[in-house]
Amino acid sequence: MNRLLALIKREYWENKGALRTTPLVIGGIYIAFLLMSIFTTTHIDSDLYTFREAVRIMGEQSPEHRGMIMYQVMLGSSVLFTVVMSFVIFFYLLGSLYDDRKDRSILFWKSLPASDTLTIASKLITAMVVAPLTFFVVMILTHIIMSVIGSLMVLSADGNPWTLFISVSSPLKAWAMIATSWLAQSIWALPMYGWLLLVSAFAPRVPLLFATLPPLIFAILQTWIEFLRTFTLKNNIVGVIGNWMFNSPAILTAEVHEGHGEIALGVPLTKEFDHAVTLANILDRLFSLQMLAGLIIAAVFLTGALWLRHRATDN
Amino acid sequence: MTSIISARGLTKRYGRTVAVDHIDLDVPPGRIVGLIGPNGAGKTSALKAILGLATFDGELSVMGKDPSRERAALMEDVCFIADVAVLPRWIRVWQLIDITEQIHRGFSREKCLEYLTHTKITPDQKVKQLSKGMVAQLHLALVMSINARLLVLDEPTLGLDILYRKQFYTSLLNDYFDEQRTILITTHQVEEVEHILTDLIFIQDGKIALEASMDEVERRYVELMVRPEMAEKARGLKPMYERELFGRHIFLYDSTDREQLASLGEIHTPSVADLFVATMKGGQS
Repeated sequence: MNRLLALIKREYWENKGALRTTPLVIGGIYIAFLLMSIFTTTHIDSDLYTFREAVRIMGEQSPEHRGMIMYQVMLGSSVLFTVVMSFVIFFYLLGSLYDDRKDRSILFWKSLPASDTLTIASKLITAMVVAPLTFFVVMILTHIIMSVIGSLMVLSADGNPWTLFISVSSPLKAWAMIATSWLAQSIWALPMYGWLLLVSAFAPRVPLLFATLPPLIFAILQTWIEFLRTFTLKNNIVGVIGNWMFNSPAILTAEVHEGHGEIALGVPLTKEFDHAVTLANILDRLFSLQMLAGLIIAAVFLTGALWLRHRATDN
Repeated sequence: MTSIISARGLTKRYGRTVAVDHIDLDVPPGRIVGLIGPNGAGKTSALKAILGLATFDGELSVMGKDPSRERAALMEDVCFIADVAVLPRWIRVWQLIDITEQIHRGFSREKCLEYLTHTKITPDQKVKQLSKGMVAQLHLALVMSINARLLVLDEPTLGLDILYRKQFYTSLLNDYFDEQRTILITTHQVEEVEHILTDLIFIQDGKIALEASMDEVERRYVELMVRPEMAEKARGLKPMYERELFGRHIFLYDSTDREQLASLGEIHTPSVADLFVATMKGGQS
């Protein structure tokens, strides 16, 4: 256990830029945008007339409606974190069993009494738990800082931030929902994580090409063959991967219902799953046949990665 | 006495090339063994098999374990420095010490910090900020702080200047080596290690060309230096090797009567380097 923790610590130290600095930058961007919009408003309208109007109009809404808006805003603000985090994890895994082979430091790591299974476990845990955790902590901090700034603005416009938006919002519910969807996404993404680790353990160079070219070439061949018969998008590998991405349990987009949008799970293009942000819908994905197939694929890829890592040295 | 390393018919193939060709090997504890051979002789391939870094054919047991299946368990008792400067470049010295301490049961942080006080290395430095010599010092400090029974060094001083190289072997001998420990070294710089070795293994074309303790080497091999007029006579005693230096003829003999040789000229014990050249050249002809 101690060894696994040490290996995870190693991953965090090695990828501090990706795991810690990146979410901080996103949080910073949110806060910077908020401050910029405040400065712009006060610059054009020094009496804060428009802002007072906005506070007044918002105050006229029912508390339930205000709470709903806050909930949607909080869920919506997680999207940028989710998307960037996915890229961070993608590239992290792609390099995780490749970089030390390239710079030969694998010879040091393999001189430690830590098994290859433990090594791969540490990388998978970093992708599935550590990365979401650091992004989550920074996102909560961002939410808190932004509501403090918002409260100050409301105060300066003679409004009461407590009654206007703080007391009606349910941050714990929103955070719990985001956390659940991210953890579910970690499990949902296992086949991809397994594939990336496999490629990372195998690629002699440029792992990015090895990760993306095979499915692409396969898809092109398949498209071509399918085209000669009857072409259906769903059976095509790109269709399958696309479908898998659209069905993600992460909060990603909005769904439009009778004219008004609502934050949604994944991309609501298909009706296979319900895309409304509820715990039941997230669990629905995790206990689906698709997930089971995904876990099997992940297991195959991970076994391959372990097999290759066992044989890997510096050349 | 049980061997630390025991190999029977150890073979390593890369496709059609045979890098290690049916080697039998026994390394007892408490020895400093030099594994010496020309480039491409199979030294590194043999070491990689011993360290569980490569698959192999034949039987190999390192402290009773099969390296190809039990690398992690084996590394509890084995340390190795495979080549200079393989420490991860992004890591800070204190992080390296932290990780090693948590993964290695036999690691002593106090010892390591003590060794580092004799260097210019500070805990907050990153490995990439250190010179090649300092990286070697750091790696040696880490390895010497681990209570291991076998230490494997594969060209540990390659590319280092003479001061670092001397210091490297001095600390190894003074601060680390004892009867419980075994050190296996491969290097090209034979002159530097010959005074610390207890055993020699020459390897050529994947086969062992010579395996002997240094005492045995002293007993068996004699170098004879003679004037040109005595050269014919000396040649008649079947030397392994002959060379000329400043008009003198130098012959190397294996198990030949010393008194008979002494009557022809000056005799002394050959250096490991000369013995190496003689063995390699002799093996080729």
